[in-house]
Amino acid sequence: MGINRRNFFKVAAVTGAGACAALAAPAEASGPKLPEDAGYGMLNDSTRCIGCKACQTACKQVNELPAEGTLDDRGALYDSPRALSDSTYTLIKMHRDEESGEATFVKQQCMHCLDPACKSACLVGAFVKEPTGAVTWDGKKCMGCRYCMVACPYNVPQFEWHKAIPDISKCTLCHDTRLTKGKPTACATACPADAITFGRRDELLRLARARIAAHPDKYDPHVYGENEVGGTNVLYLTKPKVSFATLGLPAFGYIAPPRLTESIQHGVFKYFIPPVAIYAALGGIMAFNQRRNKLKGGTEHE
Amino acid sequence: MSKAVALRGKFWTPNVALLVFFMVSAAVFSYFRFFHGFGSVTNLNPNYPMGMWIAFDVACGVALAAGGFTTCLIVEIFGKHKYHALLRPAILTAFIGYLLVGMAVAFDLGRWFYIWHALIYWNGNSVLFEVAWCVMLYLSVLAVENVPAVVEEYKDRVNLPGLLARFNGLVNAFLQVADKVMGKVAVFFVLGGVVLSFGHQSSLGTMMLIAPYKLHELWFTPWSPLLFLMSAIAVGPSMVVFEASLATYFFNRKSEIHLIGDFAKFIPWFLGAFLLARFGDLAWRGALAAAFVPGKYAYAFWVEIALFLIPCVALMNKGVRFHSLKLFLGACSVILGVVVYRFNVFLIGMDMGPGWNYFPSVGEFAVTFGFVAFGVFLYKLAVNYLPILEQQH
Ligand code: SF4
Ligand code: SF4
Repeated sequence: MGINRRNFFKVAAVTGAGACAALAAPAEASGPKLPEDAGYGMLNDSTRCIGCKACQTACKQVNELPAEGTLDDRGALYDSPRALSDSTYTLIKMHRDEESGEATFVKQQCMHCLDPACKSACLVGAFVKEPTGAVTWDGKKCMGCRYCMVACPYNVPQFEWHKAIPDISKCTLCHDTRLTKGKPTACATACPADAITFGRRDELLRLARARIAAHPDKYDPHVYGENEVGGTNVLYLTKPKVSFATLGLPAFGYIAPPRLTESIQHGVFKYFIPPVAIYAALGGIMAFNQRRNKLKGGTEHE
Repeated sequence: MSKAVALRGKFWTPNVALLVFFMVSAAVFSYFRFFHGFGSVTNLNPNYPMGMWIAFDVACGVALAAGGFTTCLIVEIFGKHKYHALLRPAILTAFIGYLLVGMAVAFDLGRWFYIWHALIYWNGNSVLFEVAWCVMLYLSVLAVENVPAVVEEYKDRVNLPGLLARFNGLVNAFLQVADKVMGKVAVFFVLGGVVLSFGHQSSLGTMMLIAPYKLHELWFTPWSPLLFLMSAIAVGPSMVVFEASLATYFFNRKSEIHLIGDFAKFIPWFLGAFLLARFGDLAWRGALAAAFVPGKYAYAFWVEIALFLIPCVALMNKGVRFHSLKLFLGACSVILGVVVYRFNVFLIGMDMGPGWNYFPSVGEFAVTFGFVAFGVFLYKLAVNYLPILEQQH
């Protein structure tokens, strides 16, 4: 599906309509209201990444993840994985922009959305948006339905397809392993090129804008993740000649996906008034028809 | 009005052997699914985490069990008692349908042993949460609605085999109570069942709206809950016709064409309303143009529409409605239409990102066939030993 600016309007219009239909306040089309303290995040500066994959290795170490053999048919040789998986939470990939032909390395990982679709989707609430900014998963609750995987616009959560008792896995922003112990993320610490900056989200935004202002020739003026899908804690910068879409960061709208489903859902079940009203209405119709049938002396009823 | 009676025919026929074959082959694949992971049986992958088991066994299953609440709505609530003979089989099939949906869900859950978590961990923001609860509650309601058939057959005639015989008195006392209570509370269950159906039939349409960037604009609409509900109501009578026709054929019964042909008059109305809403929505959103862009989305869309439109027009004609074969084919078309519609929303219309594709594996088909076979098996068992189908002279 060609992701373009039209999509932004499509979702904005539909969300507005859904919200109105649900008697809720129409969603703002100008941009989401962001929380004042959004916690920590990372700024991934793709213009600086040299593709060394130190972050990828550091991630595997801190999360105790096995290396993946990717050339299985030739005897499980080691190579860099091709996509996120249950044992790869972050991945460096090289992309070539179709128009300019310019090659760029970029880091792929969970965006730690401010209003995460995965969290809204999960029926048992296994996903939590922590005060640190991290989006974490609770294996003691998850039933393995994989609706979170459908919901995530970036296809981040992974499932252990080859285990009898599978987990959902994804980047945790090192929440348990490091953040709560006062340490920055492992990948940011490992990066030798200073391409990953760990910090508070508002400071990262300021830093990103400062970099753009200092080198307008080196940077695209847009900070990806500031508003996309309602804002994310992981932000991205790119070169002027390399579109974000090339890097696997499509031009998503500024409204968080859960706004639509939640407004419909809560409209349909608002204080249980609609279901109770339908119940009462149907009961009335039923009573009326029974009386009429009886008066007619017509068909009997068990 | 004549009474419903158990068929009491021969149960183990060659057809049943075929059902057992499908069930056994499904069991073989389930061994791998439960002990070696999904990867050993399915073609599911990171970008297509939900496949045929959700799209067909669950999403279509719920829709195809809609015969229960629509017949309830028409007979009990709108007081059209002349269709009373269709009620018991419809409610039985709905119960079996939802039982299978429940089993299919458990089958598809990676961590199936936590299925009860839906009872204790609540996320009211989740559409799936609402679907899960409505389905659970409605399954219970359907179980209760089937009690009268059991009471009628076994009250004062409980005769359990062997050691269980000592519970005869107890079971009978229970049936006595159930009989008394049911007479008084049935109406609450009838109404409750319909409201619960409204709830989850529509919420099923909300499910994929959580993924606005994946679902194609032909199906991504805030009207989706309404459209799902309307299509479920439309397919309900068609399912009743479908089952009645098959029962007539396989159990060598007299044709019920006068009853079901008359009942089928609801189908064009319900379908017409659905189609109006469907096209109204597309036009209002300006998405109609997408239906004319050649490609898999447009084709899938037109197949879906054709399967609805043709029976909608055809069944307006009395000659079609009161012709057994034509009526049956019309009902099949509506049923297929709903199946294609659900597949479009849950799989075909979902562009899950570059580099991944999905087509169900042999194992996925085998398990789905196994579930369907199990449903037919249960139906045959029930109509054979319980008063479900009307007595014929
Ligand atoms: S990127 Fe996906 S998995 Fe990560 S927080 Fe956002 S919705 Fe959830
Ligand atoms: S797979 Fe687990 S975490 Fe994901 S939505 Fe289902 S229950 Fe929630």
